[in-house]
Amino acid sequence: MTETLTEILIVFIKIVCALVWFLLLTLYLTWLERKESALIQDRLGANRAPIFGIRIIGLFQPFADAIKMIFKEDFVPSFSRKFLHTLAPFISFFFVAITIAAIPFGDILRIGNRTINLQILDFNVGLLFILAMLSLGIYGIIISGWSSNNRYTLTGGLRGAAQVISYEVALGLSLIGLIMVYPSLRLSSIVVYQGELLFGFLPKWGIFLQPLGFVIFLFAALAETKRVPFDLPEGESEIIGFFTEYSGLKWGLFMMTDFMEIIIISTLLTTLFFGGWQVPWLASDGFHFPWGGELLLPHVVIVLFQVAAFNIKVFFFCWLQILIRWTYPRFRYDQVMDLGWKLLVPLSLVNIIGTGIIMTI
Amino acid sequence: MIKIFIDKDPVEVEEGTTVLKAAERAGIHIPHLCYHPAFPPEGSCRMCLVEIEGFPKLELACSTVVKKDMKISTKSERVVEARKAVLEFLLAEHPLDCPICDKAGDCKLQDYYDEYGLFESQFKEVKEKREKKLKIGKTLILDQERCILCTRCVRFLREVTETQELGVFHRGVHSSVNIYDGATVVNNYAGNLAEICPVGAITDEDFRFKTRSWFLEKRESICPLCSRGCNILIEYHPGFARFEVPKKVYRIKARENPEVNGFWICDRGRYGYSYLEEGRADQIILNKIDGENVLTWENISEYLGEKIKRLYSAKKATGIALILHTWLSNEELFLVHKIFKEDLKVEKIFFADPPQIEADGYLLTSDPSPNIRGALEIGFDIKTVDLDALADGTDFLLAFGPFLSGLFSLGDLKEALDKIKGKVLFSYYSNELNSLFDIVIPVALIAEKAGSLTNVDGIVQSFQPALEPPGESLPEWKVLADLGKKLGIDSKFFEKFTSPDAILGEMGKKITFFQEKE
Amino acid sequence: MIKALGYFIEIIRGILITARHFVVNLFFHILKVLGIKTKRKGAVTIQYPEQKKEIVSRHRSLHRLMTRPDGKPRCVACMLCVTVCPSECIYVEAAEDPDPEIQKYPAKFIIDLGRCCFCGFCVEACPEDAIRMDTGNVHFAQYSQQDLIYDLDKLIG
Ligand code: SF4
Ligand code: SF4
Ligand code: SF4
Ligand code: SF4
Ligand code: FES
Repeated sequence: MTETLTEILIVFIKIVCALVWFLLLTLYLTWLERKESALIQDRLGANRAPIFGIRIIGLFQPFADAIKMIFKEDFVPSFSRKFLHTLAPFISFFFVAITIAAIPFGDILRIGNRTINLQILDFNVGLLFILAMLSLGIYGIIISGWSSNNRYTLTGGLRGAAQVISYEVALGLSLIGLIMVYPSLRLSSIVVYQGELLFGFLPKWGIFLQPLGFVIFLFAALAETKRVPFDLPEGESEIIGFFTEYSGLKWGLFMMTDFMEIIIISTLLTTLFFGGWQVPWLASDGFHFPWGGELLLPHVVIVLFQVAAFNIKVFFFCWLQILIRWTYPRFRYDQVMDLGWKLLVPLSLVNIIGTGIIMTI
Repeated sequence: MIKIFIDKDPVEVEEGTTVLKAAERAGIHIPHLCYHPAFPPEGSCRMCLVEIEGFPKLELACSTVVKKDMKISTKSERVVEARKAVLEFLLAEHPLDCPICDKAGDCKLQDYYDEYGLFESQFKEVKEKREKKLKIGKTLILDQERCILCTRCVRFLREVTETQELGVFHRGVHSSVNIYDGATVVNNYAGNLAEICPVGAITDEDFRFKTRSWFLEKRESICPLCSRGCNILIEYHPGFARFEVPKKVYRIKARENPEVNGFWICDRGRYGYSYLEEGRADQIILNKIDGENVLTWENISEYLGEKIKRLYSAKKATGIALILHTWLSNEELFLVHKIFKEDLKVEKIFFADPPQIEADGYLLTSDPSPNIRGALEIGFDIKTVDLDALADGTDFLLAFGPFLSGLFSLGDLKEALDKIKGKVLFSYYSNELNSLFDIVIPVALIAEKAGSLTNVDGIVQSFQPALEPPGESLPEWKVLADLGKKLGIDSKFFEKFTSPDAILGEMGKKITFFQEKE
Repeated sequence: MIKALGYFIEIIRGILITARHFVVNLFFHILKVLGIKTKRKGAVTIQYPEQKKEIVSRHRSLHRLMTRPDGKPRCVACMLCVTVCPSECIYVEAAEDPDPEIQKYPAKFIIDLGRCCFCGFCVEACPEDAIRMDTGNVHFAQYSQQDLIYDLDKLIG
């Protein structure tokens, strides 16, 4: 009885921790986006929002934004379909937020004789689950576009749907090669496989085994996040997008969904192609360097190393995605479709066949 | 007919015309300031210089009569130079008050400077100071500095009104237009002076500083204030929606029509434009109504039709009385005549027009309503309202126009109208007369509708809407045509009456007077 | 294919440029925060409310109406500014001045700054140099639109 209760408690704590991590990171990604874009453009970026006169480079800005968003008038246009209009942002938000359940933050943590898996839910189909949830998120976009009852938002929603569905194909196909190499759909196993060494010194990370797969996945994933250069569904600056009729908190949810997608894509890139929580040459008892030599460490330190490695990798990819967003102009719609169907899909097929050939040899 | 050449193009003109008129007919504008088509040429401004082959000097187009095979050039270098020089002389003593000058925008001097002048002033001397604000008439102000001494004003008062209040005084550079000691311009056509002055020397206090001429929209109409039917231009400001400044009529100007009013209008018509806007009714007023309680323009004719049909089947036409007036157009009077006199055989038809005024022997007639002749030609005999005869045995009164209150006191009217059960009024204004009627329907003035009027000399003049009617008001002919249809006595006849033109066409067929006049 | 490769190289170069700006700026800003003085500085823009840019003489700022020596407005209510204003945000009502040398003066002069686009056409059009946009005042934001409607007193004062 107490056993199950502690189990439940542990799961609960894991969920809370993961969600707090997720939401806090989302909040600070908005700050990072401002600051990074500012530095890229030789500015300083948001450096206000003082609390008691303390500004610390605008670190409180996300809170100010959140407060503003909450208290802004929640305007629902009279001509919209009210229920769906309200529902849409929550759908978007929910399907992204739920994906965090399958992400492995670290290996197994042992406290006493209890082992805790640093992952909320260790599915055997974790990868498929994440992909499925990400594609379900498109319903939020379509519904918001439709329920706003405005032809601009409707076309925006349709553009979004078309784009996400197109890139879904490339995204899925690009991962098949990977699954062939690491014969599992369980994310934790994929990470464990990546702990092995190639030629005795190179970590067996996805990026080394599936370089083409990585590139395809990166592009397709960028398109999935619907941000510049693939921001046709929104096109905040010129074309009108699906959330035009939203304001306040509901608009904020769409915005957060965007940033959460960045994080999820980053965690996927990390987990699938950059060894997840793996630190090169760090085994469960300590470092074993390929040139000989060992450094044994206590278990807790190793787990900390792993979680930190995971976080650093995720941050890096978040940073990279923002860098990409602030570097490139938007694609034209036909170019987006061309890139998806005429380049990425054939390339991923080539990747699958190539992987197969190499593996049989 | 003789042939001349203007700018090398051959033109056929009548013998005896001036070069300026001939050129005008050929579509070539020769700038001129002192010449006015109403008067013989004066030749004082020198603006109209043209070059004529065989003449050593440049000639005045306004006073030179054409001869056979004359070769005239209006655009040669010499002419252009001369125009520039003339303008330079005219402007040498001109104050260039354009920012505060009411004429700016309509000013010929301004226009010509823009077209032919554009020189740098060479005069260093101080300009002559003269009287800048001389009150020369009830509403007229003369600015001697702006005057270019074209003498149009002097000639107008000498030849048109024959009152000669203005004259040119002194000589040479000192000459100026002025009034004779102790006298001012007092005649019923004084307002025309501000209009014919080619510059802003004579301005009209009625318009002075109120707005600028280029803001005004100009619309053609006919003056309804007497039976002459002078042709007018209504100039109104469309309003600044941004500052909640509404549309407003600023002035009335004469419109040239040699058959009716020449180039002039009288001051009654010029300054009396308040009737266009003041106290207008803009909503249907329901004081008392049985049955239906919503009455709109759509169902008004149906309501009236029902009412009249019921009465008619009970008592024939003896229960119905009609009050008309002669601000109604030919078309409207014709429809009333057809419906009530011919079809329903109503006998109690009266007229209520504004009381007679004093004619001035020139344009202004003694009838202050524009269409008396039309009513006569259509076949009405104009009986003024007799209250006893009106009320006697009447169940339903259909009255047009706001003029009843000018003929009788309100008490007398109330006493008489109280005897009548149903009373409907079509009126332009909202005044206390309206309280005596069950239903008051706002209607459009002549300036706001299309139609035609027959003036005192029997000239039929068509007019088009110049302004938007206020609020719910619409023209009467629409209700009448509709009513004719709804009554069902001769519905077919009224079917084709979708515009005043169609009605006038039908009138031509039925009434010989209107035959060739549509 | 070759062409596409060319694009690809440019794409990479593009991201390297932005990344360089990011890293360099970040580096110098961190040095500054740590109190280390360097010759080169991280790029900074003008920090607006604390720092203000100097307004150049031909800058178009809040309007003002000029006055005659005796304090009357120099404006003669010619309404040329009203005519030329593309935003239709000026309203002038003229009145008669007893002085025959002035004759016309503005009884009402209203500018709706909420609509004004600061094109300066009114200044160009004025024949009397009566309206100018040289106050240097660019800080007249208000909480209500009504407060942005300036009348004669506000424009002269
Ligand atoms: S008369 Fe004509 S030119 Fe002279 S001040 Fe008036 S508008 Fe200007
Ligand atoms: S006042 Fe006008 S019309 Fe009379 S002479 Fe002078 S310019 Fe001509
Ligand atoms: S600056 Fe331009 S928009 Fe503003 S009042 Fe002047 S003319 Fe009008
Ligand atoms: S243009 Fe000048 S003088 Fe004319 S109304 Fe405007 S401010 Fe006054
Ligand atoms: S028009 Fe001929 S001289 Fe004036």
